[in-house]
Amino acid sequence: MRIVSEIKDRLGLGWRRELAAGIFAHLDRIDVVEVIADDLFDAPRRERRALRTLAAQVPVALHGVTLGLASSVAVAAKRLEKTARLFEEVRPDFWSEHLAFVRGGGIEIGHLAAPPRTAATVEGAAANLARAAAIVGVAPHVENVATLIDPPSSDRDEATWVSEILRASNCDLLLDLHNLYANGMNFGFDPMEFLKQVPAGRIAAIHLAGGRWVSARGARRLLDDHLHDVPDPVYDLLTEIGARVPRPLTVILERDGNFPPVEFLLQQLDRARRALAAGRSQRAEQSGQEAA
Amino acid sequence: MSAPLVEAFLAKIYVDEHARARFLADPHGEALKAGLTEQEVRALEKIDLVGLDLMAKSLERKRSRHSGKPS
Repeated sequence: MRIVSEIKDRLGLGWRRELAAGIFAHLDRIDVVEVIADDLFDAPRRERRALRTLAAQVPVALHGVTLGLASSVAVAAKRLEKTARLFEEVRPDFWSEHLAFVRGGGIEIGHLAAPPRTAATVEGAAANLARAAAIVGVAPHVENVATLIDPPSSDRDEATWVSEILRASNCDLLLDLHNLYANGMNFGFDPMEFLKQVPAGRIAAIHLAGGRWVSARGARRLLDDHLHDVPDPVYDLLTEIGARVPRPLTVILERDGNFPPVEFLLQQLDRARRALAAGRSQRAEQSGQEAA
Repeated sequence: MSAPLVEAFLAKIYVDEHARARFLADPHGEALKAGLTEQEVRALEKIDLVGLDLMAKSLERKRSRHSGKPS
């Protein structure tokens, strides 16, 4: 007999203009929508109004991409204040940012970069996260990033580094399973082992996405591009997450281009729902056995 | 430890192809010139070259498109 879990997870999509009509038309199959905060900082009033309309119909999460919180350099207060104003206006369920640095020495990298995994970036991230929580009023969930380059000057592995930041901050983890999978493929570690090392009780949200292989110097790496479907191993990781994590999760499917019909994305969301439910069943069964 | 200098140095070699070419021609000298410690210089001499190439290419594409959301 299949044991049904009582944990109420929520699954949804990342908001993109191209998907807007499809999202509004299928709110019966979408529990939550994630909006990129940076798209809205300077958005016209019309767009911000549309966001408030959306937030009135479905829970919204705000996702930041340019703060660069995992840095030994303090994030400028004005950047955090922009986030704080948007948070106040949208009143999302939660907000999140990446464990990345995005600028250095006055140079904007233009994307998320994995910083050296050292004590200095653990301390820097903790300090930035404390400032972010103080200015916005709520601590963000922090997301692991995908990287094509093994972060130079690192002296610890990713699971250790992420766990240390969680310990040093009040933040929970937004675990991007495709980022984890890509880093595992690119740098030869088992993503399932990573899941054993990070504190399961601190995982609050999940990202799912896809990518493609790229190559240089005769070697290949998996690029997390959000332009492709979620690969099978990521669903397996989601099942494992369902078995390990004791709290309700928010799961977001991210797609940034090469958009298929929304029905196709909803099918992937349904598959994610089944994968997570399978993990939840395992967890409930295990709890039942322990209680017996 | 000069962590901010390391981040600044990485930002530069990721996005500036001339700086990257100078670094690849003389990793030790360029890292020292940037004020990094001996330990940091040694670490950068062992940089992941495949990753550096791919990272630089990926950033170049993103910057030329001015789109694409990070994950």
